[in-house]
Amino acid sequence: MDKRTNEEWIADLRAGGDQQAQALEDLRAIILRGLPYAIAGRIAPNSPQSEALVEEIVQETLMRVLEYLDTFEGRSQFTTWAHKIAVRAALTELRRVRWREVPLPEMGMDEEGDASYRELPDRQASPEDQVDRKDMMKRINRIIMEELTEKQRKALMAVAMQGFPLEEAAQRMGMNRNALYKLMHDARLRLKKRMEKEGLTPQQVLSVFEQVGK
Amino acid sequence: MKFKQAFHRLFGSNKQKPAYPQNGMQADKSEMMQKMLTMLSNTQDVELTCDEVFAVLDQFAELAAQGEDVTGLMPLVQHHLDMCADCWDEYKVLESIIQNVA
Repeated sequence: MDKRTNEEWIADLRAGGDQQAQALEDLRAIILRGLPYAIAGRIAPNSPQSEALVEEIVQETLMRVLEYLDTFEGRSQFTTWAHKIAVRAALTELRRVRWREVPLPEMGMDEEGDASYRELPDRQASPEDQVDRKDMMKRINRIIMEELTEKQRKALMAVAMQGFPLEEAAQRMGMNRNALYKLMHDARLRLKKRMEKEGLTPQQVLSVFEQVGK
Repeated sequence: MKFKQAFHRLFGSNKQKPAYPQNGMQADKSEMMQKMLTMLSNTQDVELTCDEVFAVLDQFAELAAQGEDVTGLMPLVQHHLDMCADCWDEYKVLESIIQNVA
C-alpha cells in the first residue's frame, strides 16, 4: 500500500512492529522505482555493480528516513521527501565512484605571476587578443593569489574551474559540502569586491575572453 | 518509454552539466577562467547553502512540477541551483522522479 497520506506514513513508520515493517517495505518499493532516474547514464543499469549499489542506497535511505522522520514538515508529499533522501544518497555514492581516481587539482603561481595550470594555444585568437587575454589572466591570477587562502584557491580551482563535484572535493579537503560551499561563496565575494576596487567587473573581464573567435 | 524520456531530460539538456572525468580532463586555461568569471558575475551577497536548499528541495521540486513560478517564489533556492552543480543534478533527478514515478 503506497497511497498513504503523509500523516499515515508518519504514524506507520513510528508504530514499530509489523505496522512499521510493512510501511518500510512499501517505502522500499517506492524508492526502487525512483532510483533508475538517479543511476541512468552514470553506471550500467543491470550490472552487478548497479544491483549492489541500489541495495546499499535503499538501505541507507530507509535508515535516514527513520532517523530524520521528525524533521519532515509536511511541505511536500512524504514520498517526494523520501525520494529526495534517496537521490542525495545515490548521487553522493556515484560521484565517489566516478571521481575516486582523479586527483584534486592544485593552483600554484610561477615567478611571472602566472597560474600554473596548463595553457593551450588558442588558434582562433588574433595576436592582439592573445596578448589582452594573457595580461588579463595574469591580473586575475594575481588577485586570486593575493585575496584567497590556499584552501579557497584549491576549492575554486577544483570546483569552479574544473567541474569537480563539490561533495567529493569537500571530502578530500576534510570538510563537508555545506562548509565548502560557504568557503567558496566567501572566496567569490572577496574576488568580486577586489575586482570592483580595481575597476574591473566580471562581465568586463569575461568580454575579453568571449570576444575571441567571434 | 517513460524511462527513455526521463533519461533524455536528465542527460540530454542539462544546462549546467558538470565536467565529468574524460581524456585530457584539464580544460583550456581561458575556458576555466571564463567559468570562474561567470560564477563571480552571478555571485550574490546572500546565498543559501547546500543544506538550506536540501531542506526545501522536495517542496521546490513539487511546486515546479505543478507549474508554479518557483524562481519568483523561492529565488534564493533557484539561485543556489544555478550556482551549485551538485544540487542542480540532485534537483533534476528529483524532478524526473516526480514527473514519472510519484
